[in-house]
Amino acid sequence: MTSSLDDHTPQATAAPAVQAHHLVKRYGDLEVLRDVSLEVPEGSVTSIIGASGSGKSTLLRCLNLLERPDQGDLAIADETIQFDRNPQGDVVGLNRRQLQRLRAKVSMVFQQFNLWPHFSVLGNVTEAPMRVQGLSRRRATEVAEHYLARVGMADKRDAYPAFLSGGQQQRVAIARALAMEPRLLLFDEPTSALDPERVNEVLGVIRDLAGEGRTMVLVTHEMAFAREVSDQVVFLDRGVIGVAGPPGEVFDDPRCRRFAAPAA
Amino acid sequence: MDFSWLGDPFYQDYLIEGFVNTLWLVAVSAVGGLALAVLVAITRLKAPRPLALAVQGFTTVMRGTPLLVQLFFFYYGVGRLLEGIPGIQDSLIWPLLRDPFFYGALTFILSVGAYSGEVIRGALLSVPPGEREAGRAFGLTPLQVFFRLWLPRAIQQCLPTLTGEMILLLKSVPLVSTIAMMDLLQAANIIRDETFLVYEPLMLIGGIYLAMTLVLTLVLRQVERHFPGMKPERGRGWLPRRSLHTHGEAP
Repeated sequence: MTSSLDDHTPQATAAPAVQAHHLVKRYGDLEVLRDVSLEVPEGSVTSIIGASGSGKSTLLRCLNLLERPDQGDLAIADETIQFDRNPQGDVVGLNRRQLQRLRAKVSMVFQQFNLWPHFSVLGNVTEAPMRVQGLSRRRATEVAEHYLARVGMADKRDAYPAFLSGGQQQRVAIARALAMEPRLLLFDEPTSALDPERVNEVLGVIRDLAGEGRTMVLVTHEMAFAREVSDQVVFLDRGVIGVAGPPGEVFDDPRCRRFAAPAA
Repeated sequence: MDFSWLGDPFYQDYLIEGFVNTLWLVAVSAVGGLALAVLVAITRLKAPRPLALAVQGFTTVMRGTPLLVQLFFFYYGVGRLLEGIPGIQDSLIWPLLRDPFFYGALTFILSVGAYSGEVIRGALLSVPPGEREAGRAFGLTPLQVFFRLWLPRAIQQCLPTLTGEMILLLKSVPLVSTIAMMDLLQAANIIRDETFLVYEPLMLIGGIYLAMTLVLTLVLRQVERHFPGMKPERGRGWLPRRSLHTHGEAP
């Protein structure tokens, strides 16, 4: 297989993969994110932890704009997001073309896998490279087979998602994300919907990806895992960043200990 | 039982014409009707409220009035109105507007559009939204998300119901004999009037309808069975649709 597929060494000059400044997100009167700022250096792994409802998934989903923040600035993978704003500075719209371009560079792995059940495993992995990046079917298939092999699912390429276990589906979903050769990989609680005995096969894949210097942001409840793979841990507490820093510091911080200690 | 009239080439021609017209009418109405149904479904779900309400009014009227009344309305009502437009009888579309086939197809397309539109709307709602979200997250355009991900999954969910709708459509065709279109029933009526045989022609076309329904059912069942992503059907029941939603362990 071509070596270029796995070449994602960060460019020396690259700006941080994510720069988020003063993000605010509201649902009606409920402020889910209150002034959150976050920086993710190229080639690093950031874990976002926190209680349910603390806003971690919302923050992650702001990074590919599945959620549109109401205030703040975002720069992701060399794109400064051009928000349409009203005179008060509130975000009211997006540039659709930039949105499509951004999403081709940022891939997401979902808690519920969200595979497309009417496509085979191979079809799931080739769909976006073909439709979004314009790859030929042949090239997209090569790329897909490469990444399916990476996650140990090459022999299931012609199976349909309904025939796979949860862990297998999630590994296909990771291959689908990798096939876009993204600048940034987002994981939204990738093991929360799995049976306990299937968790490790998925964590193993993510661990390998972290080891090869991919830029990743991970929302997780797996504290031990977050501690092990992360360069940076962000502890979100009711919509604000409680503590952020290297995993050792964050997990030892008293504000985080109360939350994370029983699990870690 | 007297089937000797079957040897008469005139009657054979009527029956063949009626049969071919029936197939054409079903084909045109199914294709046009299902296309309209998709439009109806997505409009009711995503269009601005006034438009969505207008379409809801359309489906309510079409589903709330008898098909035969609609057929008369379009043929005798709208058709006669069009006739009165000055110059229309010299225009290129007049041969179409004069043909009862046009009014039959129009009525059936609108009817299928209304009934199947509601079916497809429900099916669209039943597709887990995460599948669309994944499409958006990977940068697919809204049109790609709809035509590649959302609609195929909805069709997958409601295929058995749509099969039923198509069989009902097929069996609605004899209604057009009332607007002077040569279908199988019209052929049977002519044969009855000329031979004074009532039951035999009716039995023949009844048998033809039964055969068409069986063929249509078999064809559509094959479509259902080979729809991508379906678990293989065990036994003879309908599709194991529930299994599509489980993300748990494979059996």
